[in-house]
Amino acid sequence: MTKEIKYTDAFEELQQIVSDIEDGEITVDELSIKVKRAAELIKICKSKLTSTEGDVNDILKELESDA
Amino acid sequence: MAENQKIFTLKQVVSSIRKTIEERYQQLYWVKVEMHKLNRFASGHCFPELLQKEDGRIVAQISGTIWSHNYERINKRFIHLVKEPLKEDTTLLMQVKVSFHETYGMSLQIVDIDPNYALGELQRERQETLKKLTKEGLINANQHLNFPLLPKRVAVISAESSKGLSDFMNVIESNTWGYQFFTFLFPAYLQGDNASGSIIKQLDAIKRVKSHFDIVVIVRGGGGEVGLSCYNEYQLCKVIASFPLPILTGIGHATNLTVAEMVSFRNSITPTELGDFLIQAFHNFSTPVTNAIKSIKLHSKNKLTEARAQFGTSSQSFKHLTKQYLTNTNHILVQHGRKLKTEVRENLFYNRSKVLRLQEHSITSSKYRLRQEQETIERVKRNIPILYKQTLNKTAIELSQLEHSIKLMDPLNVLKRGYSITTINGKTIGENNSVELGDKITTKTSTFKLVSTITRKDND
Repeated sequence: MTKEIKYTDAFEELQQIVSDIEDGEITVDELSIKVKRAAELIKICKSKLTSTEGDVNDILKELESDA
Repeated sequence: MAENQKIFTLKQVVSSIRKTIEERYQQLYWVKVEMHKLNRFASGHCFPELLQKEDGRIVAQISGTIWSHNYERINKRFIHLVKEPLKEDTTLLMQVKVSFHETYGMSLQIVDIDPNYALGELQRERQETLKKLTKEGLINANQHLNFPLLPKRVAVISAESSKGLSDFMNVIESNTWGYQFFTFLFPAYLQGDNASGSIIKQLDAIKRVKSHFDIVVIVRGGGGEVGLSCYNEYQLCKVIASFPLPILTGIGHATNLTVAEMVSFRNSITPTELGDFLIQAFHNFSTPVTNAIKSIKLHSKNKLTEARAQFGTSSQSFKHLTKQYLTNTNHILVQHGRKLKTEVRENLFYNRSKVLRLQEHSITSSKYRLRQEQETIERVKRNIPILYKQTLNKTAIELSQLEHSIKLMDPLNVLKRGYSITTINGKTIGENNSVELGDKITTKTSTFKLVSTITRKDND
């Protein structure tokens, strides 16, 4: 669940940066920092779309132990 | 037993009963019955248990018979109209003939069952379920859950080899955008009598491992329109409505929406459409990210261009202003220089004349002073001889006065006035120089010297 919070946060932070940049509320000094941060967030978000998650063995183990 | 008593065979008796019953119950009757067990045999004939309950207690019970040909006809009509086959544990309105068979005994021969009554019963059950869930506040519970930003981890409830499952998996696994889903199948019956319990069981299992999943999907397809009344059952609908994860249904049918579909987070008409919905959720996440790249690129570029232009303008105006400032300052400096020169010249002139004036003045005053001093010296010079004489005279007078005083004090002068001096051995007589009897003393006066011998001496 922590991973989900992470990409949800990343997504929201990215949206914020985009709207800040679009609104012109960022100075040239901040710009490079924000763009760098945005690049990291985009990377997190993009990898989230194509990464594999979930472990069948874990689920089976838990189902057996609880049963 | 009496001898002339008539003895019947069992067959005679049973046949008589049969004859009586057949005479008595010639017509057909419509009866409301609970069909407890269908008991269909390999022959195709069914021998259902029929009963009536009051307050949970069986108050009437009898066996029923549905001959194979009747069963086929009735079931076909049920599937067509009710979308359900004949089911056990339901209340049915059936047309029966009371029959008695020599070997099988009493039974109700079922010749027809009213599908419309069964349909009404199902509708009633559906309404009942909706009413109960509404009353319990569960009707929208699942829909009020937060849908995950990325529905990546999917618990799938479906039948292993169903077409619905393969349609669904096909959509989400072969997407051209490379979106990755994680699916885990929880196999269940999706229609008919066992469906409800089987789905509930799998939902319970998913609940235990819910941290591994974002959503649950229930997909069914290719199974026709029959046997979906389970999705109106209260127990199943309640579990779906109150489930902690969003449940998405894709049951695939054309008739009325079932309660399960109504209370689920979202209902899709088909498993394929459900798969498309999940892909769309990924798009909804991906598109803003892709747009973010474009937007950031564009706006950053604009911002930089703007800043560069601003810098250009600023540096131009800085150059211009600096030049202007330098010119101005230079001008002011020149003016100051000129002014300074004039002022220095004026000042010099003024001071020089002042010095000259002072010089003249000092020469004049020196000469005057010198003359004054000279006059003083002259005056002193003139006064010196006079002063000298005066001092000399004064000293001479003082001297003569002194001389007179000294003369007065001379012992001779004293003697002249009648006094005498007595001495012994040249010394005056006093306490320290006493005289004894017989000593010779000398007495001197102003005119002579007398020598005497002491004959008497009296002390004072």
